[in-house]
Amino acid sequence: MKLELGNFPVNDIEFGEETAFNDGLLTINKKEALEVVYEDEHITEADLKIVKPGDNVRLVPVKEAIEPRYRVDGGAVFPGVTGKLKQAGNGKTYALKDCSVLVVGKHWGGFQDGLIDMSGEGAKYTYFSKLKNIVLVADTDEDFEKDEQQKKNHALRWAGMRLSEYIGSCLEDLEPEETEKFELDPITKRDENLKDLPNVVLVMQPQSQMEELGYNDLNYGWDTNRMLPTFMHPNEVLDGAMISGSFMPCSSKWSTYDFQNFPTLKRLYEEHGENINFLGVIMSNLNVALEQKNRSAQFVAQIASNLGADGAIVTEEGYGNPDADYIGCIKALEDAGVKTVGISNEATGRDGGSQPLVSLDPKADALVSTGNVSELIKLPPMETVIGELEALARDGLSGGWADDEELGSSVKEDGSIIMENNAMFCGDQIAGWSTKTMKEF
Amino acid sequence: MSKAIVYINQFFGGYGGEDVADHEPEIKDELVGPANLYNQLLDGEVSHTIICGDNFVGSNEDEAVERILGFLEDKDFDIFFAGPAFQAGRYGNACGVIGKAVKEEFDVPVISSMNIENPGVEMFKKDIYIFPGGHSAAKMREDVNNMVEFGNKLLNGEEPGSADEEGYYKRGIRHQVFRDDEKPAADRGVEMLLKKLNGEEFESELPIPEMDRVEIADAIEDLSEAKVALVTSGGIVPVDNPDKIQSASATRWGRYDISGMDKLENRDNDAFKTIHAGYDPAAADSDPNRVVPVDAMRYFEKEGKIGELHNYFYSTVGTGTTQGEASRMGKEIVQKLKEDNVQAVILTST
Repeated sequence: MKLELGNFPVNDIEFGEETAFNDGLLTINKKEALEVVYEDEHITEADLKIVKPGDNVRLVPVKEAIEPRYRVDGGAVFPGVTGKLKQAGNGKTYALKDCSVLVVGKHWGGFQDGLIDMSGEGAKYTYFSKLKNIVLVADTDEDFEKDEQQKKNHALRWAGMRLSEYIGSCLEDLEPEETEKFELDPITKRDENLKDLPNVVLVMQPQSQMEELGYNDLNYGWDTNRMLPTFMHPNEVLDGAMISGSFMPCSSKWSTYDFQNFPTLKRLYEEHGENINFLGVIMSNLNVALEQKNRSAQFVAQIASNLGADGAIVTEEGYGNPDADYIGCIKALEDAGVKTVGISNEATGRDGGSQPLVSLDPKADALVSTGNVSELIKLPPMETVIGELEALARDGLSGGWADDEELGSSVKEDGSIIMENNAMFCGDQIAGWSTKTMKEF
Repeated sequence: MSKAIVYINQFFGGYGGEDVADHEPEIKDELVGPANLYNQLLDGEVSHTIICGDNFVGSNEDEAVERILGFLEDKDFDIFFAGPAFQAGRYGNACGVIGKAVKEEFDVPVISSMNIENPGVEMFKKDIYIFPGGHSAAKMREDVNNMVEFGNKLLNGEEPGSADEEGYYKRGIRHQVFRDDEKPAADRGVEMLLKKLNGEEFESELPIPEMDRVEIADAIEDLSEAKVALVTSGGIVPVDNPDKIQSASATRWGRYDISGMDKLENRDNDAFKTIHAGYDPAAADSDPNRVVPVDAMRYFEKEGKIGELHNYFYSTVGTGTTQGEASRMGKEIVQKLKEDNVQAVILTST
């Protein structure tokens, strides 16, 4: 399978007459773009904003981030989700780099939503403060979940994907500034020189803990709660096969942008042919019941063994209950003789004194830690808020609260905030961006 | 100018050793013993020295804490030093008990120093900063220097670094930090995997605590010949608690003669009660046999199911007790049981 990702670095974004990309400048026809957003009758109110690194802007509740792309050979950027099912990961896709489409609720937030500061102290906590962003801020008539802490956010998330495809389509007739090539031969048909290198798989555990459909990450449109671990080509992940869901405290989440750019996967690609033979991805999931957890771990270890893997990296989109899936999977791989490294975050509490993962095992002897979900963060007010600041306190965001005996509300009258890292949008950057680690004090 | 108060024991206070270890707490507005060294090195001054006998703290913990906190009520101080306690176990305990209480009451940094072998390390490293120290007072200058160096940093308004950076014992407190080298998790993970695959040394960012598993003993061949003892972490003791076992975070255990008793009489009969602070004592005080089942064991003894019930039961308190202390007490109890030729133990917890 061979994927050519044609990159178009974006230096600046502005609204204009025509949606077009010209010499680093992305121009967006706002009216036309909003028409695409309003294609879903459930969108009742929508606006677009542009935010850049350094802007004195706070965004909350942020629901999703997507890299705008265009599939050159035709078809949906997200097969099985925004269009017909087709094979992803083979062929040409164009991407607008250094930018993302952010989806923000105009009023209502939920457990899974997060916060982004584009400048100041808060900016260091999210990857998306480094990007130029086209912000869709919108409301819907999905009244059934308006007061629910858990929201599917369907209309908003799908509007974000349509918008990103619309913006990406301006690349149709252009030549990319640079092209990244991702190619792996079938495992049994690889060059002799790869045979002496250690064989490595990436095991991904996307969030799939909601039994009800509509909340979990999707694999070609299929709910990951309803799948067993399966073998995938890394290119499929990079090319729109996976989309983010709407469940799990936000700092532990992988956005769709994270799937499209998954740093750990790309780093394994860099090592392919040099230090490792990168076999591919085992796409697992995260479950609630113990037998489901064990079944998935057993499947992962079985696939890895039968592929002849010598090493694996396991990475988990979540914390708490799914730590049992994470550690269980690492243990199953080690028991199968596969040397394994884990990448995830920890939950040591505000005082740092709690057990870092729900489940621990001495076989998990090589772990990378990307942050503490419960770290307290205080931030000053920002000039502009996109969305609704009160959502952080009112709507059950995982890192916000309406009242606390000692700390009061998360949102203060002057617009300053106190929150747990939990609500930083994809803040623990478990996909691999994180420059955070954990230290003992 | 920043102000410090130093806590030392009767020995370093100039009173003497074991024979005066019951020395009552006192506070002096002068520099006594090691306080002089602190005063030399500190970016500030030591205003008072507190002196207390190690045994006084060990035997009268509540009173010692109350009196020393009382001394400090009207004092103005920014930091508190205790020790160094070197390898002296009771001194380490005293530094920990007093240091922890001062930290909780006044919320100032509390710094101590103890040798790794000092049980005080395991008991109090979570509560106060404890630096690794020497075996004996020969290391006084070095140990105090390490404590004050860190103390000066805090007094100058700097944030404390991690345990690895500063040198104090790890406290099991983990916080996120941004790496200076900004190395992303993807690179750290892949590089760790390459090292693991190549058999090279690597360092996990989340070391899993070692589990101290004890192998299960062989089965008793003939129980009807065996001498069986009762051991509990449920805190059953004679009503006057003669061994002064603590109600939580115990460091002491006791053994109590039950020869000739058909069952344990209860608190109302002035016999046995529980001192365990981790559960509702009503049921155990009303019938201590429900924690230490002497009555049932006597029944089995008569029935011939067991050879005999050992003449002593052993007791301590399990709540808040550190693994290190529990393990030490267990070893001490086992030694006694072996001397008495006990073949089996029923260990009751609560």
